[in-house]
Amino acid sequence: MRGRAGAAGRGLARIGRWGIFCARAARAAVAPPPPLRWILEEAYRIGVGSVFIVCAVAAFIGGTIALQGYHAFKEFGGEGLVGIFVALACVREMGPIVAGSMVAAKAGTAMAASIAAMRVKGQIDAMEVMAVDPYRALVAPRVAAALVALPLLVLFADFFTVLAGYLVAVHQLGVNGGAFMENVRAHAGTTDVLYGMAKGAVFAVMISTLCCFHGFFSEPGPEGVGKATNRAVVSVCVACIILNYLLSEMMYG
Amino acid sequence: MIEYDNVCKSFDGLKVLENVSCVIPDSRITVFVGPSGVGKSVLMKMIVGLERPDSGTVRVGGENVAALGERGLYRLRRRMGMLFQDGALFDSMTAGENVAFPMRRHTRMSEGEIRRGVAERLALVGMPGCEEKYPAELSGGMRKRVGLARAIALDPEIVLFDEPTSGLDPLMADAIDELILDMQRKLGCTFVVNSHDIPGTFKIADVIGVLYDSRLIACGGREEIMRSRDPVLERFFARHRGGMGA
Repeated sequence: MRGRAGAAGRGLARIGRWGIFCARAARAAVAPPPPLRWILEEAYRIGVGSVFIVCAVAAFIGGTIALQGYHAFKEFGGEGLVGIFVALACVREMGPIVAGSMVAAKAGTAMAASIAAMRVKGQIDAMEVMAVDPYRALVAPRVAAALVALPLLVLFADFFTVLAGYLVAVHQLGVNGGAFMENVRAHAGTTDVLYGMAKGAVFAVMISTLCCFHGFFSEPGPEGVGKATNRAVVSVCVACIILNYLLSEMMYG
Repeated sequence: MIEYDNVCKSFDGLKVLENVSCVIPDSRITVFVGPSGVGKSVLMKMIVGLERPDSGTVRVGGENVAALGERGLYRLRRRMGMLFQDGALFDSMTAGENVAFPMRRHTRMSEGEIRRGVAERLALVGMPGCEEKYPAELSGGMRKRVGLARAIALDPEIVLFDEPTSGLDPLMADAIDELILDMQRKLGCTFVVNSHDIPGTFKIADVIGVLYDSRLIACGGREEIMRSRDPVLERFFARHRGGMGA
């Protein structure tokens, strides 16, 4: 019982430290903001580094959703409705989740590992001694870059999930192509796409701050880098799944 | 002038420093010696505000470091340079970019001026023409030299060296000691060095502080420390004295 209370206390303390970390990063981002070049370089690294994997995973997810939707609706003769299922599931939910999870897996782990390595090698201390704010130099550009890149990656994920859903439904399962597209157009509007991008923006803040946080407060030694990366991935996955549910409740509940 | 006044520091209940008081004079080389884990690095980090004492004060130029806000701390740090144990060079930057880093952040120098400044500092530490090399391509001694070039990039008043010769072979350690002496003569600023290399300490130090068992057991001029008949100091320096006697 006492052990559980202790773990809960440590968890709460860590959330508190993360909150303070975010506040410091936010302050560093505005007064004065980091140069645009740093942000664009990071955004390029996150966006271009993740776009292929986002599109590939999105395509397979879209195909799977079409397949499952088709068989579920076929039970009561509603195969034609698979377009609605693909549109709602992909644009509202899977697009943001695929983009977020792939950015977390690729760019997020890179953020956590590189910042943790800098901590372990004394480079963050060196930066502080050189009177350079590490929150401004390391954290703020990564958060801003993720905010630029992730909503755009959500658009790519939306497109590829729906495209793959269309190909599987129409060319493999024989659903009428015109009906499929009509259902997609009717049920996935601009608002849904924008909501998906907004989810992407929230995920971006969560992923970048959590990954930077775990890297920034890494334990010493090479083991510390591994632990920081591991903690970053686990916490980001849990946080994004919970956030996605809460955002869906707010947007569509 | 840097003053420690009754400084105490513990980590997780473990006492690292206990009632440390001393004065580090300007324009001299002060070396803190002591076994590993005795708190030398903590003592040094207090000068730049990376660590804060649990009690007591550390004053740099009359300013209480622990009482400074973020801005004050950054203002103070701009007057200092620090060489970390393995150089702490940024892996993603070349040696030249590492040295240029503080110049780009804190000065309005043009790119040409920065290039000239970098070349000058690298030449000063005996590493001319290595601007394009990445830290991974440099040996331990070379990384320390580049780290030193970066530490003096903004012409600091105080330069801190955390174990500058650790992990180096005796020849390279000797070369780094020579470099520290030479640099101090040329720059004339205050050097504070942490070391457990006793021969190197007697070679470069004007003032020596001996940390032992969380306490500063002696602090004084080199000759004074060498002549001391204190039994702990005698035991501490025995091997070096034996070597000198032979």
